[in-house]
Amino acid sequence: MSCPLDILQLMHKHLDHETSSEEDEHLKAHLQTCESCSKHLYEIEKSIALVKSTSHIEAPKDFTAAVMSKLPKERQTVRWSR
Amino acid sequence: METIVKKRIRQVKKGDQSAFTEIVDLYKDKIYQLCYRMVGNAHEAEDIAQEAFIRAYVNIHTYDVDKKFSSWLYRIATNLSIDRIRKKKPDYYLDAEVSGTDGLTMYSQVAVDIALPEDEVETMELQETIQKAILKLPDKYRSVIVLKYIDELSLIEISEILNIPVGTVKTRIHRGREALRKQLRHL
Repeated sequence: MSCPLDILQLMHKHLDHETSSEEDEHLKAHLQTCESCSKHLYEIEKSIALVKSTSHIEAPKDFTAAVMSKLPKERQTVRWSR
Repeated sequence: METIVKKRIRQVKKGDQSAFTEIVDLYKDKIYQLCYRMVGNAHEAEDIAQEAFIRAYVNIHTYDVDKKFSSWLYRIATNLSIDRIRKKKPDYYLDAEVSGTDGLTMYSQVAVDIALPEDEVETMELQETIQKAILKLPDKYRSVIVLKYIDELSLIEISEILNIPVGTVKTRIHRGREALRKQLRHL
């Protein structure tokens, strides 16, 4: 069994939402007959879903204050002298 | 949001340091998250994220107000994260291809259990597994995957941030996806 390499390219193009309707039809037709390609695409989609599911994390509470305290002093002087 | 940001940037450029506070507040979570996903360690992520803002401030005169500020800031943070990764890892690792993507064979898999563990999506264990998979990606694939799927940026924005052509961004995303699949498909 051997699938044309362009199917894999098409899968990625599809994942980037860049396939034309003809290309999508072509891909769909292939996936309906090829279990291995079908599974491959499913596994990529699942992996993407997992990466997207990672919880959004926030910066530590005193982050802004910490940054502001580390900025070069001369700029602060400029500000106060205005 | 970009309008307010640009207004504040102009104030910062004129020497008003306090105007920078709002900039940090607006972007701290996104930048921290980017750094965290890139280096995988809270302490280092905080360190790099702070450094990114400090560098942005110090180099604010080089920022072109006609361009998107967030892309410029992301670029600083991404570059600092990559620098940190490279310092930690032996050189040979950097240019190594993602193992297993060569040939990209899709015939080699034997049947695997591919049930999605919906009930476990929230568990710490799964979160850690996913983070580990991200960290296993070579840095050039890791940065595009994080920017695309965690920060949800467009291919064009990613191309601007990394200063590489959109075609290269696509290729790296494709390879990154294949590498992630190798690691996460059994979950």
